[in-house]
Parts: sequence; C-alpha cells; structure tokens
Amino acid sequence: MEKLTPEKLERLSRTSKHKAKNWIRVGMSTCGIAAGAGEVYAAFVEEARKRNLQVEVQKCGCLGMCYAEPLVEVNVEGAPQVVYGKVTKEIAVKILEKHVVSKMLVNDYIFTMET
Amino acid sequence: MEEKKVFTSEIKNLVDKWKDKEGNLIMILHEIQNHHGYVPRELALELSSMLEVPLARIYEVITFYNFFKLSPPGKHRISVCMGTACYLKGAPEIIKEIKNILHVEEGRTTQDGNFHLDVVRCLGCCGLAPVVMIDGKVYGKVKKQEIMDIISTYVKEEE
Amino acid sequence: MYTRTILVKDTGSGTEDKTREVYTKLLDLLRTDKLEDQVQVVRVADIGFYNKGVVIKVLPENTLYVDVKEGDLARLVQATVKEDKPVEGLAQKKEPKQIRIVLRNCGRINPESIEEYIGQDGYRALTKVLLELNPEKVIEEMKKSGLRGRGGAGYPTWMKWKFTRQVAADQKFVICNADEGDPGAYMDRSVLESDPHSVIEGLIIAAYAIGASKGYFYIRAEYPLAVERIKKALAQAYEYGLLGKSILGTDFSFDIDIRLGAGAFVCGEETALIASIEGKRGTPRPRPPYPSVKGLWDKPTAINNVETLANVPYIFLKGADAFARVGTQTSKGTKVFALTGKVRNSGLVEVPMGITLREIVYDIGGGTVSGKNVKAVQTGGPSGGVIPREFLDTPVDYENLQKLGSIMGSGGMIVMDEDDCMVDIAKFYLGFCVDESCGKCAPCRIGGFQMLGVLARIAEGKGKADDPAILKRISFAMQKASLCGLGQGSPNPVLSTLKYFTSEYKEHIENKKCPAGKCVDLLNYSIIQEKCKRCSVCFTNCPVKAIEGNREEGYKILLDKCVKCERCFEVCKFKAIARK
Repeated sequence: MEKLTPEKLERLSRTSKHKAKNWIRVGMSTCGIAAGAGEVYAAFVEEARKRNLQVEVQKCGCLGMCYAEPLVEVNVEGAPQVVYGKVTKEIAVKILEKHVVSKMLVNDYIFTMET
Repeated sequence: MEEKKVFTSEIKNLVDKWKDKEGNLIMILHEIQNHHGYVPRELALELSSMLEVPLARIYEVITFYNFFKLSPPGKHRISVCMGTACYLKGAPEIIKEIKNILHVEEGRTTQDGNFHLDVVRCLGCCGLAPVVMIDGKVYGKVKKQEIMDIISTYVKEEE
Repeated sequence: MYTRTILVKDTGSGTEDKTREVYTKLLDLLRTDKLEDQVQVVRVADIGFYNKGVVIKVLPENTLYVDVKEGDLARLVQATVKEDKPVEGLAQKKEPKQIRIVLRNCGRINPESIEEYIGQDGYRALTKVLLELNPEKVIEEMKKSGLRGRGGAGYPTWMKWKFTRQVAADQKFVICNADEGDPGAYMDRSVLESDPHSVIEGLIIAAYAIGASKGYFYIRAEYPLAVERIKKALAQAYEYGLLGKSILGTDFSFDIDIRLGAGAFVCGEETALIASIEGKRGTPRPRPPYPSVKGLWDKPTAINNVETLANVPYIFLKGADAFARVGTQTSKGTKVFALTGKVRNSGLVEVPMGITLREIVYDIGGGTVSGKNVKAVQTGGPSGGVIPREFLDTPVDYENLQKLGSIMGSGGMIVMDEDDCMVDIAKFYLGFCVDESCGKCAPCRIGGFQMLGVLARIAEGKGKADDPAILKRISFAMQKASLCGLGQGSPNPVLSTLKYFTSEYKEHIENKKCPAGKCVDLLNYSIIQEKCKRCSVCFTNCPVKAIEGNREEGYKILLDKCVKCERCFEVCKFKAIARK
C-alpha cells in the first residue's frame, strides 16, 4: 500500500465516506458476538444474497446498548434509519423483507438511540 | 506416563522471534501456553537455557500471573465470570451448581480430564450477566437451571 | 412510500402494557382519515424514556410526546399529519443526555477498516498536529482542553506529558494502559474493539508531544478480540505510513508494539505495569521517581489510559475550547461508564461530566430491573465506594465523587437494589483486592487479609461490637502506608459501606440478621404453613433429612439439622419456604 502524505490522506478521507445508500450494520464486539451477532450477520448476508437485494451488510463495533444485543442498524432509502435490538435469524429475515424491501419498519424490535 | 513435552520448531521460531527483544519473557510464556494450554516444566527448563535466565526467574513470573498455568487444563475449559455485575446477578449460585454437577473445585480439572473449572475476573460482557464461558463460547444471562443442559452438550460430544 | 412514521411505546410502570392498544387506535384514526398509506405506525421495544406513560415519537420531525392520554391521540394525528406541526402544549423537548466523544465512531464504522476511520476524519488530527503544531503547542492545547486521566486518578493529561517532555533523555516511551481489570468495567475493551484507530492516533500524538520514539499497548490477554483488532489496526497504520519512519512524510518517526497482560489487577498501576512490560513480576515500586522521570527501562515514560487517548484526536479535530465546553469547572469532557448491576438497561453510556447519578441510573438506565428501589450505586470498582441513594442527585465529577468517599475510577458503575447486602458487597470487593494484592508491602498484604477475616465473621453472625472500629483502624493504616493505589484504595468499599450503612452492619453484629437476605449464615428457613400444599417435594429433596412431617400433618424444618443449602427454597413451587 502507498504511504500517505497529508494530501493523499485528505483524498482518501473524501473517497472513504460511506457510499452505500442502503446498508445494514451488525454490531460485532464481544457482547454482540456472545449474544449471537455472528449468526445474525451470516443470516443477513445469506438472505440478502438469496433475494438479490441492493443492500450492503457491514460489520461494526459496539453501540453500547449491551442489554439489547445483538444490535443491528438499518438505513435504506425511503425509511427512517433505526436500530433493532435482540435480533435473531428470524427477525433478520423479517427486517429484510419488511424494512429493506417494503420500507416498513418491523414492530417490537426497535431500540431508539438518543444521538 | 505423560509424554515428554519438547519445543516444536514452531515454538522455537517464536522464541527466536522474541529472543532479542527486551522484556520478552511474558510474551514467550504466552506463546508456549497458547500452544500447550499450560507451561510444561520441561519447556520452562529449556527456555531457561535458551534465554540464559535462571529457572527461578521464569517460575517467579509464571506463578505471579493468574493467566499462566502449571498443569494441563481439562479438555473443556469452563470459566465462570465473577465480575461485580455477574456476582450481583447470581454467579456464586452458578458456580455452586457447576461444582455439584461436575464434582470439581475451582481451579481444578475433573477426574476424567474433561472439564476444568475456573472462576475468572470479568470477561467484559457485563450487559449479559451472569456469564459463563466454555472453550471461548460465551453463554449470557445464564440461569441455574440451564447449566445442566449447557454442560451436557459437551458431555455428549465426548461420548 | 410513507412520508411519516409514528413510533409508540407504553413506558408506564403499570401492569398492563398499552402499546398495542394505542397502536391499534392510531391505525384506526389514520384509516378514518384515509392516511394509512402515508403514515406508518410502529411499536418499538425501547423509546428512550422510562415510566413516562405512553410515549410517541413522530419521524422525520423527531417530535416527542410523553405521557400521552387516549384523548390526545386524535389531536395528535390531526396536527402532526394533516397540519404539519407539533401539537402545542404537548410536544416535548428532550435534551440528549448522552454526548459521544470517546464513542464517536463506536458502532458507526467497521473497526477492521482503516479507510472507514479515515472517512470519519480519522488521522486528520494527527496531520494537523504534525504539520501545524510544535510539541509545546500540543501540550498547551491539552492544557486548554482540561482533559484529565480517565484511568482513575484524574491526573491532568497535559501535566503528565509536560513532565515527561521536560526530562532530557536519549529515548522516551509512551504506553497505552489497556489492562482494564476492574470487575464490572469494560469501556476500554469496547473502544479497542470498536474504534482501535482513535486510540492509536491518540498515542501517536502523545508520542509527538513528549518526544517518544516507541510506544506500547499493554492489553489484557483476557480480551482476545481487542488484541486482534489492535494488531490489525497497527498493521494497517504501518502500511499507510501512519506509523514507522517519517510519518505522513514528516521527520517524525514512531513505532508501536503490543504487550499482553497476564491476569494481574495490580498491573493497572503504572509502576507495576512497567515491570510487567519489562517481563518481570508486576509489583509496584515507590514513587517518586515517577515514570515521567524514570519509567520503562529507566527512561521517561508517559502512561495513558485507553479512554484518555481516544479523547485526544477529538480535541485536535474540534479544538480544545469545544472540548472544554462540555463538563464542569474542574472536570472537562465526557466520561464513559459501564452501567451494570441491577439496572434495566445495562450497557455503555457516555455522559457529560456534571450529569447527576440519578439521570444516569433512571433516565438512561431506566431504573432497576426489579422495579425495586435503588439502594446504592458503586463507582470506581474495588478502589471505589458505594454511594447511597440519598446522594443520587450529586453531579458526577472527580471532586464530588471523592467527597462522597468514592472515586471516578475507570468507569464501572454498578447499581444495587434492596436485595443487595452492603456487608456482602464490601466483602466481595475486599476479597478481590486480597486476591490481587501482589504481596510486596505489608499494609496491603496483611491489612486486607485481616479485614477480610473481620468481614467474614460479621457475615457469619460472629461479629463483635468493636469490629467496625477495627475495620476503620486497619483501613486507615492501609490508606496511609500502602505502596500503591491498590492497597490505598482497597479499604474504600469497606469504609463507604460502614459510613452510609452503619445500621446494616449493626443489624449483622448485634441482631445476627441480614436485612437484605444475602448472608446465608444469618438466614433461617421455615415453612409458611398457609402457603404449603403439603406436596412433599421439599421433604424428598432435603439432602440432610432436616425436614420432618407427612402429608397429613404438614412439614417443618429442623433448624439444628439444616445446612442452609437452599434446596427446599428452590424446589418449592408455592413459595412456601420463608428465608429470614
């Protein structure tokens, strides 16, 4: 990889901003993994591929709401950005079918964050 | 008779990698324990001559740190978290239950060598308290009644 | 596509959850107005309010309504949906309680991708520091920011850096202390796992400020994922030339290596940590000389905690003044707490200094899981103290917590409810310190052990009238004469419980009772005849045959035979075993 100079860092910073319009982030730190985030992540990747959905499934760190792990943040065009908690493989499928495809939020699993 | 532990070429390489760095002892012990699950006496002896430090210096360090073990661990390592959150949420009862089921004391291995029970300080999953970790897999919000089921999955694996 | 979203949740403490009812009602209202295709109604699991009745949030405006009554619903739909404005007199303003500085990227970026960190202005602070500021100016900015060490003691970071800079030496070191050993605290693990580059960037800036050429991460071996992510992050930083020779094309060079801890709490103490990196037993040594003068391999060394370092890039990115605007007079910025114990929402919270404990426990944490009263909040781990509920309105900062007999500590905040016994808590923390005492100095080694004996006998009902006085005397000696923070701090849980829960100790000592029902030796078991269905389950399960009787006449527990194993208490389906 090329060593950065201040100018190159600046350029990389601009090009590295989130480009994907539609994304799903799964929290993958110790708490999340212990609560089953690995399985949930795999389910999102697999099911999104099966359905041929234009959504990027990403891994991220800890949002801090350990009581509601595994946590999944979803942003798709045409629906508000929300965080789902206590997500299982089944809920993952629901999120894809309802939220991602039909732009309808899934009942009973949203944990709103203040920030 | 237990088979004599020797340095494999792999570990030798690791030791070589660390050999010239200052303050290498703890990192080398980590490498050895990663490989064998504990620090065998033969290896400690050999290490002493490789690094040219007295054996006492090596044992002084091994025995100071909780992380290093002098005897082989059981096949499955059960760690029960005793951090404050887990303590408040019933970790002592969980330990009692495991002891009852496996007939084993803290820091010991069962007679058949299948399970080793450790009580550890905070695994860092306080949000899931009480927490039990078996071979790196974390079980959160464990209830006393679930212990039997959890352990039996490992017992079945053995049979 | 919907133009609006209405989130609903009944946060009331009532027995009946009205969420579904309100949800249907709203759907009906929308249907009547033929708006169901424009507005969606969603039931949520957690809306960020607790015990505030029905809470409704309207997106995208983000208007909030708390304690909404059924009669308000029609008005709410009318105004927000049809007239496009909030309902006057009902809409709430909520200032966010949490501010994210340290956790700014946690959960927002992929921690294994340096590009994502760079995309969030990562390493821009470093560029600014290397290109525009000389080391003195960096320290000057740190002074302006008012950042104090987040590891526990709250020593001003700029002073640490300045002292280390002042000493002339051929080599200097910086160390990131990631030996987070406080049971019940895991902020540092979370930051290392979720945003490793922010800590690395902070460490590079620290190195530049003091003139160090080499740095170490000292991480607990019990945090394998954190170790792995830091390893990956370091490799990425090297590849991009953000570490190594001529960083960002400047003439500043700096290397970082990882050293693993091996399960010794005392290694969180600076001098012990240094000994451990040198490959020795982690025993502390007397200070002075401080590590800033004689540290790692006798060279000047600055040791900063993970959270402290994660603040540093923010300070240079947003400016010291922006950072100093958050917090109180003496304690600037935010603090991350690991809120755990009997609290409903256990997790990490980042709050501005000066927030009250009550806001943290109730507004963010949602109160206790059990719904019982909070009895106390413990901060600072084994070196901290308990703060009883009378002081929940205290604004959190370094000085206030110290005044209350606790400390800020690294950030463990454990909520205890009425089921927790304070003697038991003191015993738990002290037991931890006795286990972890390195044994080098007598006050800590012997004092702790002796105190633990006294506490054990109190918990067993063998306490003597002058035991509290003995505890205080030993505590005082340990505080004054121990070599390091571990010994000096370990009496704190004992002293604070003695101070605030005197009557609970008295109850144990004089009446041989444990009011919280925790100390097993002080409990007696009996059968509540009115509740007993004479099913004989306790009788057959008692391992020592301490229950006698039969199905016709009922059962009773023979106290002289009972070994207090609680088997009967557990097996009884009718809650007919009393434990007092």
